[in-house]
Amino acid sequence: MSAALDKVTAPDTEEGVAEAVRAALAAREPLAVEGRGTKRAMLRPVQAARTLSTRALTGITLYRPTELVISARAGTPVAEIEAALAEKNQMLIAEPPDLRALFGAEEGATLGGVVGANLSGPRRITGGAMRDHVLGIRAVSGEGEVFRSGGRVLKNVTGLDLCKLLTGAYGTLGVLTEVTLKVQPAGEATGTLAVRVPDLAEGIAVLSAALSSPFGVSGAALLPEGHAPLGLDGPVALVRIEDFAESVTYRLGRLRAALSCFGEVSMLEGAPSRAAWRAVRDAVPLGAAPEGAVWRISVAPSRAPGVCAALREAFPARLLLDWGGGLVWVSGPATAEAHAAVMAAAAVAGGTFTLFRAPEALSAAVAVLPEEPAPLAAIGGRVKSVLDPAGILNPGRMRAGA
Amino acid sequence: MGPALSRVALADGEAQGHFDPMIRLPPPKPEILARRDGILADLGRLLPEDAVIGEAIRLRPYETDGLSAYRQMPLAVTLPRTTEEVAAVLRYCHANGIRVVPRGAGTSLSGGALPLEDAVVIGLMRMNRILEVNYDDRFAVVEAGVTNIGITKAVEGDGFFYAPDPSSQLACMIGGNVMMNSGGAHCLKYGVTANNLLGLTFVTIEGEVVRIGGQHLDAAGYDWLGLITGSEGQLGMVTEVTVRILRSPEGARAMLAAFSSVEVAGQAVDAIIGAGVIPVALEFMDKPCIHACEAFAHAGYPLDAEAVLIIEVEGSLAEQDMLLNRIKEICDRFEPISMKLAESAEQSLAIWKGRKGAFGAVGRISPDYLCMDGTIPTGELPHVLKRIGEMSAHYGLGVANVFHAGDGNLHPLIMFDANDAESFRKAEAFGADILRLCVEVGGCLTGEHGVGVEKRDLMVAQFTPRELALQRAVKSAFDPGWLLNPAKVFPLEGNEALAA
Amino acid sequence: MQTTFTAEQLRDPDTAEANKILRTCVHCGMCTATCPTFLLLGDELDSPRGRIYLIKDMLENGRAATELEARHVDRCLSCLSCMTTCPSGVHYMHLVDHARRHIEETYRRPWPERALRSVLARVLPRPGLFRLSLRAAALARPLARLIPGRGTTAQRLRAMLTLAPAALPPRSPMQEAPLHPAEGTRRGRVALLTGCAQKVLDPTINEATIRLLTRMGIEVVVPRGQGCCGALTHHMGQHDPAMAAARANLQAWGAEIEGQGLDAIVINASGCGTTVKDYGFMFRDEPEAALAAKISELAMDVTEVLDRFGYRPSREAPGLTVAYHSACSLQHGQKITALPKELLKRAGFAVKEPAEPHICCGSAGTYNLLQPGIAQALRARKLENMARLDADLVAAGNIGCITQLSGDALPVVHTVELLDWMAGGPKPAKLSA
Repeated sequence: MSAALDKVTAPDTEEGVAEAVRAALAAREPLAVEGRGTKRAMLRPVQAARTLSTRALTGITLYRPTELVISARAGTPVAEIEAALAEKNQMLIAEPPDLRALFGAEEGATLGGVVGANLSGPRRITGGAMRDHVLGIRAVSGEGEVFRSGGRVLKNVTGLDLCKLLTGAYGTLGVLTEVTLKVQPAGEATGTLAVRVPDLAEGIAVLSAALSSPFGVSGAALLPEGHAPLGLDGPVALVRIEDFAESVTYRLGRLRAALSCFGEVSMLEGAPSRAAWRAVRDAVPLGAAPEGAVWRISVAPSRAPGVCAALREAFPARLLLDWGGGLVWVSGPATAEAHAAVMAAAAVAGGTFTLFRAPEALSAAVAVLPEEPAPLAAIGGRVKSVLDPAGILNPGRMRAGA
Repeated sequence: MGPALSRVALADGEAQGHFDPMIRLPPPKPEILARRDGILADLGRLLPEDAVIGEAIRLRPYETDGLSAYRQMPLAVTLPRTTEEVAAVLRYCHANGIRVVPRGAGTSLSGGALPLEDAVVIGLMRMNRILEVNYDDRFAVVEAGVTNIGITKAVEGDGFFYAPDPSSQLACMIGGNVMMNSGGAHCLKYGVTANNLLGLTFVTIEGEVVRIGGQHLDAAGYDWLGLITGSEGQLGMVTEVTVRILRSPEGARAMLAAFSSVEVAGQAVDAIIGAGVIPVALEFMDKPCIHACEAFAHAGYPLDAEAVLIIEVEGSLAEQDMLLNRIKEICDRFEPISMKLAESAEQSLAIWKGRKGAFGAVGRISPDYLCMDGTIPTGELPHVLKRIGEMSAHYGLGVANVFHAGDGNLHPLIMFDANDAESFRKAEAFGADILRLCVEVGGCLTGEHGVGVEKRDLMVAQFTPRELALQRAVKSAFDPGWLLNPAKVFPLEGNEALAA
Repeated sequence: MQTTFTAEQLRDPDTAEANKILRTCVHCGMCTATCPTFLLLGDELDSPRGRIYLIKDMLENGRAATELEARHVDRCLSCLSCMTTCPSGVHYMHLVDHARRHIEETYRRPWPERALRSVLARVLPRPGLFRLSLRAAALARPLARLIPGRGTTAQRLRAMLTLAPAALPPRSPMQEAPLHPAEGTRRGRVALLTGCAQKVLDPTINEATIRLLTRMGIEVVVPRGQGCCGALTHHMGQHDPAMAAARANLQAWGAEIEGQGLDAIVINASGCGTTVKDYGFMFRDEPEAALAAKISELAMDVTEVLDRFGYRPSREAPGLTVAYHSACSLQHGQKITALPKELLKRAGFAVKEPAEPHICCGSAGTYNLLQPGIAQALRARKLENMARLDADLVAAGNIGCITQLSGDALPVVHTVELLDWMAGGPKPAKLSA
């Protein structure tokens, strides 16, 4: 994104956002839409002379702990929201990652950013994705009109769910101005079991066994060899429990017994457990080289070993598996060949991929997301022209020419 | 439902003491009605002989769904057995400008499957096969006509279940669940349909078959899966569904707490959630409902209570004890009239028995009822129940309230007599007032039943004209000719696409 | 649900009753899920809710039935699974009975069907005639495969020949005897409905019942003049013959009640039990109303009587696993679900129940003769579920189900035969084979 700083507009009201969009529409000028711009290197670069930032549109507007809802303006830092929730022993269910290190950003992400990118961490596997907890949105369309979808109650099926459509749309269908999320009590305690496994397939089997247990696992990741943070050698399967202290103790015990058939099971509790999952959440064990590319592949967990094997054959891939093995973080050289290998591996496994971070030379030249079937692509084009008829919102962010 | 506005009562019917509470539907296309025989013949060539219904007598039972107050005979009914047959019917209807109305089990409480005079109903009841169950990756692939409980039945022997559990789960079909984004008593913990899906086989109005999502989480690109879920048949049809299946908990147990006022019960709910306890179910019944259920189920509900909470927790026996005791301690602070902690699965069942039979119980004390489905911020409960009580007196109609207290989803059951035109009109107006109140206090028109035809004219209470126009335009992006389940979800007023 | 009967129509008590039933239905659709024909055919018209709607439309319009109504109502098994499921308490049985009668009275079926129904209505309730027909059928049985054609009539003929047993059991003097005194002290006195088709097809059921009851100190009378309960014709909508059969029973049992009195009327074919328990309703507007109500109160399934008089086994547990098949008339019609299983367990058997225990086996009285396609599909489904249990034998409380499920790998016996065996009676012959 090549936005010069003097071309950044950062209104502090929703109406200001709407005005900025209307001005851009009148001038037929594309807008780069962002929060604090921490994920500019994600997906494709936007070619726009002006940037519309929601960084000044901040503040928690409603928080009802007993109703499990929180609303905040889109530019509110995620950290601020997490702090407010922590005061009431609550949390963001989807556990969005902090990708400052990965993207070399100085500031932390905004609410609008993690919702716009639908970013979820380890708890996604059983707690749901960011998109599952977006109860309501306010947004400005590409015509500069404010619209709402959803609301501030936990259950709502009134009308078409545009919350889902805008979550993960990277600002291409509207500029999020306010988001209402479902939140949950934070577990009183947390503990992690770690099992060293001979290979990825065995690791997936450990995670599958844990996720198929009745013990309410809230994280299931697999650290490939070379990342052992726990003094363990070789691939390590990690399984997390979060709940009331009595429950955590009981379940860790039961699960430990259940997993012992896979090998020695070690246990982390409290701070070390939290630190391990923060690292997984933020893809630290991936150890991505700053100049390299990062991909995320989503597959059925049992297909992950095949994906990993194919990638390792194609290039010196570094890997990190989360979501029971269903999310494969990949880092490798930022080359078209490596990207082609990722695309092929995801397709063979019936899954999907995202070129998560790459130098512009690569991301501008390749498809950063899989192609959609033609009927769906046509519908997508029409939906885009409903919400952004002039195509001024983040053009090219997800796909070339769209 | 925008009361008198949207209905055309038949004057001569009323003269005999009967009335026909027809909902206003878009004018049928005369050229389609005129071609009826030809269309039936064409459909007969596309599908096996037993998959097309055209005789008036046999169409009659298809004129309504779970909301039997509204009725309309369709042009024809088709009962395809495969995705290809569904696609063939849609392709044909698209090519010929014929409207279609998708139908699952026909249990919609909002009239989602109400036909149109010039529409072909596409019923998915015959697509009832379970195609794949995968425990390693914890999903099942089923056809749209598999019942909700049928999925759990298929996997429960291996210790798994499918989480969303609408009250009609015995009969309702997963295709309908997807279209309405159905919830249930346990969605406080496990989420609604949208949170439990991985993929769909989707058929566009043009008859194109598209796979959306798959066996993995979070498809890249726009969240079509999320948009289609809950779209009430406005965007296309779903013929196969990939759902997540979860490992069943070790066990579950219920408790009952009775309170002397609605306010206090509401405070207890807040305190439970505020203490960080998320029960798997947290159900609320008001006094009329307690009495109706007790008369039918003899579950031992205290008749002097103004409000009863049924709370269910999961886990090992020790965990259940721990959670129930925590909840009991919290409830104790609110001076309950009585509390009962189930000691066994049987006692849990007994506590649940009345609640599970609540609709039937009200059906036994009143010839008919309308079931509302608004959601409110839970803090508004006392105010809303008080207002509903005042409305009940105003309209002279009884109302019993059951309520998913954890998530604010309210189910007032308005009792009326369908053979009395005046009674039905009042019930409709009463229902509309309740839903407007829900929106007024920060809630919404429908938490899990869908807008359907029942609440479409109230959409203006929740959305601005521009917001509605935007939603309509998104529908148009999928269905430019407005052939898919028109007359549902969106008010007819101001909808140029449906003007004659 | 709204109805539109006129005041004039509602003056007819049967129509008024139908209206009352229809008004309790809220059209929720729960019943569709547990209806066997809806499961197989996937058409609202072949579900209880669809049939209720068809019937409502036909009755409201005072219309003669057509082939269409007849087709969909005829496909109903009257298994009453829907009544177990219905949350609103809709009395589907009385509504569909009323509709069957309306169809019978206003619709003329094609002649082969009329002929078949007439033969069944005449032959089945008359043991002598039935025995003769079965002998003829047994001779013709090898010809079943040779009957050409795929039409309904050909299918029905094949079904009749296939269902007829290859060899008939000998006549049983025991079940014909009018009185069976109690052994030891008399603790009770009951009448036994020995039935019509059952006594020809499998007399050992009545024999086991008599042996077991008398051994428990209960005097068993087989009143003169009793015969078919009327269910066979009742379910074909033939009102007058059904009422005549029931009336004969009322007289026979009434005389016993007047005489030495009865503690119960024991019925060991649950299809008949459901009907006798409904006599009170059938005769509600007849001169015999009071007697019929009394009879319905006295009517009990044999398992209810055994439980009341404290059934106890006397033999060692046989180490056998019984797959218990819950006859629809027992579980849905009479709501007797746990008791037979409890008694079998008490007798020392391990008891298992197949998946989909609520789904009919397809027998349903004469249904397997009139709707052979659906009946065979349901039979196959039931046997498949049974086969997964790894049981030694099947037990059921209704002769229709026993006939329908026999002929597969597992022997099928009546529950009372097993209970009698464990209480000192002979081992059922089917288990020795």
